[in-house]
Amino acid sequence: MDLILLLFDAVLLITLLALALAAILSSDPRRAVMLFIAFGLWLSLVWARLGAPDVALAEAAIGAGIGGALMLAAARRAARQQTSDRGEPS
Amino acid sequence: MTMVAFFLALALVLLITMAVGLVRIVIGPTPADRMMAAQLLGTSGIGVLMLLSTALGIPALIDVGLIFALLAAVSVAAFTRRRVGQDQA
Amino acid sequence: MDEPTIALTINIVSVLLALAGIFFYIAGTVGILRLPDIFTRLHALTKADNLGLGLILLALLPHAPDAFYAVKLFLLWVLVLIGGATGAHLIAKRALRGDGEDIH
Repeated sequence: MDLILLLFDAVLLITLLALALAAILSSDPRRAVMLFIAFGLWLSLVWARLGAPDVALAEAAIGAGIGGALMLAAARRAARQQTSDRGEPS
Repeated sequence: MTMVAFFLALALVLLITMAVGLVRIVIGPTPADRMMAAQLLGTSGIGVLMLLSTALGIPALIDVGLIFALLAAVSVAAFTRRRVGQDQA
Repeated sequence: MDEPTIALTINIVSVLLALAGIFFYIAGTVGILRLPDIFTRLHALTKADNLGLGLILLALLPHAPDAFYAVKLFLLWVLVLIGGATGAHLIAKRALRGDGEDIH
């Protein structure tokens, strides 16, 4: 049982780090936002594993949900502005 | 093997499945593919949370699961918003 | 039937349901990774995953600490079903209109 918990934590942490790196290093804003949403969900799982359901609740609702939705809208607006600056039809 | 260890092992398998499914978010050719993979992450995340809730004995985790379910709907709605208006414009 | 037999039966049923749920989850993940285009992937994702979640919640139902928790588990599944169906419909409609591509 301890071994299972150890493996669980290892998978949790390695994937969390990989998601954070992928979100930071991606060049396309929309891809970065979606990776950020996934990162928020995953971080919420980490909080749940640490035995803090209230922090997990706040992280899922604010960090991934509302923040992700706002950043999706912002990324879309930025992409539209770029295309209209270049004079292409959207 | 007790039920607690069994549920923890299932949560581990589900977590590995989730981590493999994340590949689709990274490589996904279209944004819709990435959104779909995020939805998969939400559904599997609820499964992991509920298994952890029973195995670790934290009943409050079900509220986190409810937020996950709500969140998937909200982010999909935010993702597909105003597509029709752009077509008309 | 005496008490231990009932408990053992419940545990066996629970284990079988949970294993079936995990199987559907794995099938959904394999589908989203291996299928060729977006509509087939959407098809694999929504059905298999919601069914897997339903089976796992059903397996956890006998281990619920109180009745309110059990009702919440059921309502959680209903919420996931409604949200998943709506989301899949929205994504499919968007992909059909714009081929899933971005505006630029």
